[in-house]
Amino acid sequence: MLAVALRRLLWIPPVLLVTSVAVFVLPRLLGGEVTRSVVRARSASSTPDPATEERLERELGLDRPVATQYLDWLVGAVRGDLGTSFTTRSPVGPEILAAAGVSLVLAALALTIALAVGVPLGALAAGRPDGTADRATRWGGAVALAVPEFVLGPVLVLVVAVGAGWLPALGWGSPQEAVLPVLTLAVWPAALVARLVRAETAEVLGHPSVRTAQAKGLSPRRTLLVHVVPRALTSVVAGAGPFLGGTLGGAVVVEVVFAVPGLGRSLAEAVGDRDLPVIQAGLVLVVAVALLAALVTELAQMAADPRLRP
Amino acid sequence: MKPTVLAALVVLAVIGVVDWPTEAVDFADRLAPPSSAHPLGTDQLGRDVLARVLGGVRYSLGLGLLALAVAVAVGTASGLASGWWPRHPLARGTQALVDVLVALPALLVGLVVAAVLGSGLTAALFAIVATGWAPFARQAHRLTVAVRGEDWVLAATALGAGPARVLGHHVLPAVASPLLASVAARFAGTVLTLAGLSFLGLGVQPPTPEWGAMLAEGRTYVFVAPWLVVAPAAALVASTVALGWIAQTRRTCCATR
Amino acid sequence: MSYVLRSLVVAVSLLLLAGCSTSATDATDATDAPDEQGIRVALQFPPRAAYAFDADDGALLTKLGVAEPLVGLDPQGNPVPGLATSWAREGDGRTWRFALRDGVVFHDGARLDSAAVVTALNWVLSRPSPPRSIADLGMRVAADGPGAVRVSTDAPDPVLPLRLSSGTTSVLSPAAYAAGAQPSPQDTGTGPLRMTEIRGTQGATLRRHDAYWGPPAASSQVTVDYVTEPQTRELALRSGDVGFTEGLPETSRASLQGDPDVRFSEYPSARTVLLQLNGSAAPFDDVRVRRAVTAALDRNVLADQVLGGSAAPAADLFGPAVPYGATTAPPAADVPAARALLAEAGYGPQNALRVRLWTFPNRPELPVLASAIAAQLQPAGIAVDITLGDYAAQEPELLAGRFDMFINSRSYLSDFPDPAGVLDSDYTCDGSYNIDRYCSSAFDASVAGLGAVEDPVQRAEVFRAAAATLTADAVNVPLVHPQNTAAERGVTGFTPDPLDLRPVLPTLAPAPVE
Repeated sequence: MLAVALRRLLWIPPVLLVTSVAVFVLPRLLGGEVTRSVVRARSASSTPDPATEERLERELGLDRPVATQYLDWLVGAVRGDLGTSFTTRSPVGPEILAAAGVSLVLAALALTIALAVGVPLGALAAGRPDGTADRATRWGGAVALAVPEFVLGPVLVLVVAVGAGWLPALGWGSPQEAVLPVLTLAVWPAALVARLVRAETAEVLGHPSVRTAQAKGLSPRRTLLVHVVPRALTSVVAGAGPFLGGTLGGAVVVEVVFAVPGLGRSLAEAVGDRDLPVIQAGLVLVVAVALLAALVTELAQMAADPRLRP
Repeated sequence: MKPTVLAALVVLAVIGVVDWPTEAVDFADRLAPPSSAHPLGTDQLGRDVLARVLGGVRYSLGLGLLALAVAVAVGTASGLASGWWPRHPLARGTQALVDVLVALPALLVGLVVAAVLGSGLTAALFAIVATGWAPFARQAHRLTVAVRGEDWVLAATALGAGPARVLGHHVLPAVASPLLASVAARFAGTVLTLAGLSFLGLGVQPPTPEWGAMLAEGRTYVFVAPWLVVAPAAALVASTVALGWIAQTRRTCCATR
Repeated sequence: MSYVLRSLVVAVSLLLLAGCSTSATDATDATDAPDEQGIRVALQFPPRAAYAFDADDGALLTKLGVAEPLVGLDPQGNPVPGLATSWAREGDGRTWRFALRDGVVFHDGARLDSAAVVTALNWVLSRPSPPRSIADLGMRVAADGPGAVRVSTDAPDPVLPLRLSSGTTSVLSPAAYAAGAQPSPQDTGTGPLRMTEIRGTQGATLRRHDAYWGPPAASSQVTVDYVTEPQTRELALRSGDVGFTEGLPETSRASLQGDPDVRFSEYPSARTVLLQLNGSAAPFDDVRVRRAVTAALDRNVLADQVLGGSAAPAADLFGPAVPYGATTAPPAADVPAARALLAEAGYGPQNALRVRLWTFPNRPELPVLASAIAAQLQPAGIAVDITLGDYAAQEPELLAGRFDMFINSRSYLSDFPDPAGVLDSDYTCDGSYNIDRYCSSAFDASVAGLGAVEDPVQRAEVFRAAAATLTADAVNVPLVHPQNTAAERGVTGFTPDPLDLRPVLPTLAPAPVE
């Protein structure tokens, strides 16, 4: 399994390289639109002027051949210099890292809550199949999985911020501002975790060896700790692909809905302004995270199911 | 298929075909709360929200189905081919691509596509297909690899059938049933992705009454006209819950068969 | 097992409770009254390019009261002394001499002299894309002794002093330019408020500049938060987090106006939402069709009902924000007249007119107006299909004349209070932004003639006549002028500025406690 992990890890740099070429070249095929968008991002009501755009093209280095631009960018990126944002003119690296940090906090808080709520709920539901808790969890889970963040976010704002006035509707910075975005993002993974844990727990509890152990006097607590929890966590990690992917995608929406200055919002804004250096750095980072998630998923699946091992 | 499911689908299809008065404005009656004349209230232009929610069936569910159909076709074709010739460099490349794509959230891909193609319906559908085909390709690949060693497949090849014929006539029917089950399961996700892209302004654009776009428009008025958020949100959630339920009944029906 | 589960559930609820209680204490902290002399404000537009002068951020620095240009503005938009106390044209009219104010001290203690002005203006002129107010004029700046500068241009320029009222031509301390990088406004301006801390696009802290040459700032400290979401700004004001904010959501007008604790101001803006018509192709190359569209639209309904009063109906290109703008309401819709004009142009039930209307969603009022216009044109017999898209993708098509109708939001003053630049770029035959594709030699001649008109009264006359010509030729339909809004709570001293070019923060002060 170590060999597989290494081989897959070695795959990541070339895939990232290909990704970086793609995100570098594709927007540049748009030509003049980029400089024009940058001019407008800097001063909103400016009129088109070929001379200005030509000078700007030189300032941004867009007048050189795409291959040269790319190699320059790559050399800089390897040294840790991701270039300068076209609109804010500040270095992209710190900007993206700050945004990614915000997204990381958001996602980590949401996933922690999802695990803290999902695991006990799933185990509770499996404890007595078709009991009240089981049915409630199943129905609640089905609804929670069907409610996207862009529905839940505005509805939570409506109920909690507008209706009750308990929490601020938007923003990021104070703990109470974090509550709604984190909750919005946590609901979907919590439902997923609960569902996975329930299925896994039911299977473990139904396993002959566990039944025998229980018959021999294994306490319920030990059953849970020794047999159920490790299996359940493995299955959660094995499901991490859709889990992380969904959370990453959801984070974009949550950041836009709640005005959280994270990576998704930065990317959405950069796309609007055609801020190519930010788009490049942000997307390569996102793809790297997705690849790592896929790798972890696959390894966990192998750990859980020896038949998948090569 | 259960009669209730069938009935629900027929009702949805009828709603989708009818031309609802989604654009009938009444400036004097804007942002009106729900009443007998307008059961779900009116929006910022005095348009009937119920008519727009019903009119949205065609776009939210119909376009989702369209995107899904294309994704299934592309994914199945690629999965069959890569599963039939698994050692071919092209097949290996496809598999690597699929591994990356299944991990990427469609919403982020939608942002990239918007950066290149600009926003709009075509770009949104393209973004959904660009990630949506990957799970089907992976599944079709695995299923094809599993059956290509079976006696009846080997027999067909021995009898002189070309790969196209074997894949089309023998392998495809064998892998179709599990693929169809996952099509049903992924429909809800596709609808949500389309609505999400529209919500971010990258997909269907107003005044088209797509639910995600309606939600984005209504969000500005959430303090004075909450029904503009509640109505499309409820329609979207009800549809996805129902689609998930249909997918589950299908799975149980096929598992017992 | 149930024991473990129960303890898990208890632990989780405790965690959540702890989270709630900490947030509750924070909430009370946040609503504490601001310190006696300081105020906190929420502004809508954050700096786009780290307060660079070759971006809209130059105007922001003026608004904050941090940096100042040579020339100031009175409420009507006339030039008044700023860092320069007087100016005069010299010789052939291509050169202006500005006498600098004595005793101006930068926030870092340096003294203003002609060398500082030359350094500052030359820096901004050397940018790849200099600000519109001073670009493409061949502008040169030279010192004339320590207390004056000479500014010359390739051609005589009658509004040069007004150009140098633009915030983009502000003068920072020589220290700001010494590094060679983009100058920072932190502790380097001359204005009544000194920027002591920059928090990126999140905010800034300003303190009173005690050595200011003019009337001192009314508050000892102003904390600026940039909040891009209108609803967040409103909530921040209502909760008392900030004492002043601007650009409030349309839907909250009524409740803010009725709130006794809030002073709500509404004032015109120098911006027009236009229905632009492609005059270079059928059907809008026919003036009768353009007039029919104008007649079919009811702009009073658009402003008062569709936009809920958050905009004023537009009767011409300029509105009440400037002295030469129309102040009368536009006529109501006349659908029979529109039908008659269309019939004259050959359109009717047999040959129905169907056009495509483009607009973009970045300004939320535009899609709403698009749907309303489609509904208003329908009774006149014009069917409208709406396409919403990216402005960036639409612009090349618009400029190439490949469109029917387009709703645009346009500010007709660019950085300084004179619309000649916009009249030239938007409505002359060779204009770089002539979306309507209007071309009239008489109009071009009158705009070109502005180069020789220095008297503000005469210029205003030309602007008024130009707007009248555009209305008479039905070049496009000016729909509405969006209203600016601002609200104070526990703060006084706000003066509305329709030009949006003058300092705002220096006059704001904490309201006296009753």
